[in-house]
Amino acid sequence: MPTTEGAARVRAAGPAEPAAPRAVNRRTPGRAPVIAVLTQLAIWVPLGLTALQVVGFTIWTTWVSFTPSTLLPESGFVGLRNYVRVMRTPNLQIAYVNLVIFGVGFVLLTSALGLLLAVLLDQRVRGENVLRTIFLYPLAVSFVVTGTVWSWLLNPGIGIQRLVNNFGWTGFRFDWIVQPDRAIYTLIIAGAWQGAGFAMALFLAGLRSVDSDLVKAAQIDGAGPWRMYRRVLLPTIWPIFITVAAILLQFAIKTFDLVRALTEGGPGISTMLPAVVVYDFMFQRSELGRGAAVAVLMLLTLVVVVAPFGIYLRLRARRQARA
Amino acid sequence: MSHVTRRGVVAGSAALLAAPLSGRAFAAAAVTPRLTAISQWSAGSDGAAITALGRVFEQHGGIWQHNPVPGFTTEMMNKLRAEILAGNPPAVSQLKGPEIAAWSKIYPTINISPWVQAAGLEPHVPAELAASCKPGGHWIALPLQVYRINTLFMSVPGMKRAGVTTPPKTWAEFNTVAAKMKAAGMTPLANGGIRWDDGMKFEIALAGISPDAYRRAIMHLDTKALRGPEVLAAFAQLRKFSSWMDPDIAAQSWAVNVPAFMKGDMGMVLMGGWAQGNLLHAGAKPADFISLAAPQDSGPPCFDLNADCFIFWQQKAADLKAGQTLFAQIMMQPATQEMYSKITGSIPARTDVDLNQPGFLDGQRDSAQNLRAAIAGKRVLLSLAHNMAQPNGTTAAMIDVLTEFVHNPAIQPPDAQKRLVGAVEGA
Repeated sequence: MPTTEGAARVRAAGPAEPAAPRAVNRRTPGRAPVIAVLTQLAIWVPLGLTALQVVGFTIWTTWVSFTPSTLLPESGFVGLRNYVRVMRTPNLQIAYVNLVIFGVGFVLLTSALGLLLAVLLDQRVRGENVLRTIFLYPLAVSFVVTGTVWSWLLNPGIGIQRLVNNFGWTGFRFDWIVQPDRAIYTLIIAGAWQGAGFAMALFLAGLRSVDSDLVKAAQIDGAGPWRMYRRVLLPTIWPIFITVAAILLQFAIKTFDLVRALTEGGPGISTMLPAVVVYDFMFQRSELGRGAAVAVLMLLTLVVVVAPFGIYLRLRARRQARA
Repeated sequence: MSHVTRRGVVAGSAALLAAPLSGRAFAAAAVTPRLTAISQWSAGSDGAAITALGRVFEQHGGIWQHNPVPGFTTEMMNKLRAEILAGNPPAVSQLKGPEIAAWSKIYPTINISPWVQAAGLEPHVPAELAASCKPGGHWIALPLQVYRINTLFMSVPGMKRAGVTTPPKTWAEFNTVAAKMKAAGMTPLANGGIRWDDGMKFEIALAGISPDAYRRAIMHLDTKALRGPEVLAAFAQLRKFSSWMDPDIAAQSWAVNVPAFMKGDMGMVLMGGWAQGNLLHAGAKPADFISLAAPQDSGPPCFDLNADCFIFWQQKAADLKAGQTLFAQIMMQPATQEMYSKITGSIPARTDVDLNQPGFLDGQRDSAQNLRAAIAGKRVLLSLAHNMAQPNGTTAAMIDVLTEFVHNPAIQPPDAQKRLVGAVEGA
């Protein structure tokens, strides 16, 4: 869906292009064809290379997933054998269950925190710029740093639990990171810490873009702050919710570095995610074919997530065109 | 204005004429040996040892071009893969166990058997290790150093605190000692939270229960042995280990426990011989800990072996070929192996090296003696967790089961055993 839309956009841009060469034409008639060619090159060469890279390697990975490749890519066809094998491993099954928990939890918690921060900042507080910078800062550090810092904070022997215990509450337990059935939630916590500022920025921009007449009208009608947000502001910016959710969800699906730094997939193999499984098969186990099969499965997952978003955008565009 | 003398001009021209001539003459006689090498050893004692090896190579007139890829072995392999795909592998690269056979199938290696015979190396290398270096019947790789995996380190302050006088010799004794330590308020086992650490605990347990069952189940993947009582007993022992570990350790290395071990808050470490290096590096004195073979239920201690090797890739350039010859000669010399093991804390791959000389510690001597006895008694085993027994894919599938078992007390040993069989069949 997004592809046809992109093509449409390029087509729409088409007629505008000749304007530039024509402007040059008047001054230096001789160079016009050269510049026209260069203009075309500047657009199509990078576009072609990007397309080749994305489409080409997608096709290549898909091809590898049907071959018996291990250490190096090999030719040959083994049908769905790699897919059957990886789907039977507990790693991939655990990874997909985890992806659902992590995906839903990460998107909900991050959006909720982001929205809360945005609403609080929207109260025209003093030092808003400073606060906004602070809240956005986690986004500036990589997931590896986030994971490492949180791995120490969440460690019961040295982190938050130890701190609270030392304050006198000795019965306090917060050892999710060493519990196989809870560790996945620590990924959500660390991920939300990092992503909340980003969600906040989007929500805040949305809140600020609401027509002030609408707000004044609501004020005249006697709406308090709670009603103002619930009935006027948030419903007005609801498309932002969908954008935030879609962006966060694709973050969640490709999460890799956070797991590597925070839990190493453990305790045991309880915090595996599909991207970690791909890496594991391709580079730890030297099973290129199986790793590629997991990568293709991930691509299909992404399509399932992104396609509805694309459909939604098209429907919305059509509705706006009609209105 | 510069002063140009006639004599200077003559001398200069003569030198210009002579330079290419002498170069060509030299090339005809012998090229300067050059060696390109990749390994994962970049820092700490490993980095120091490989740097020292390079210096020896240079002293013999060679040009040493070592390219370390820090991190896990697999990261080094990714570099090797890229270079092989580009058709340009290094002259030698670090590789071990069954990976030597696997990688030798994707790019030509050279037959170094004549050099090995000339150096008389073969009789002095454990047969299991030699076999992994000559997958096609002839030598294509050379061993550099050996570590004993089944090594037990006891904290001397910890022993005092728990009232333990002698180190345990069997798993039953080990369990008694651990229970005493636990009763004394200590954490009996200083462990790490990383998967290979969990896998290693299992292999040490099984090797100590029955070296024969280990050989059949782990090295030969014999299904009957995998389903056998010894493997089940090893899982039961692993469950005991997991109850004595530091419950707070997440994805950290065992080495974060070193200070607690030195203080006596933690009692024992089951780790390869390199742990000696970690302990000394952290400031422990040789009197602060005892190291010996891990418990063995019957017979003399087996030797669960981990070794580092270098594989020799086919080269076209004359200087690289000469470099390979020179490097092989240097590597096989007892003096080189001594120097290397003194730095890393390993034992030499040549069993005829005398360790009763300054620079080696008692732990290394014990380990070397253990190896000689194990060779004689056919009790040398290859490590699972350190990729000596099986190719990476099989090892990883097995360790998945082991690490999950360690961290999930709800899994019972019989169930874990079934999962292990399933992992082997599915790999």
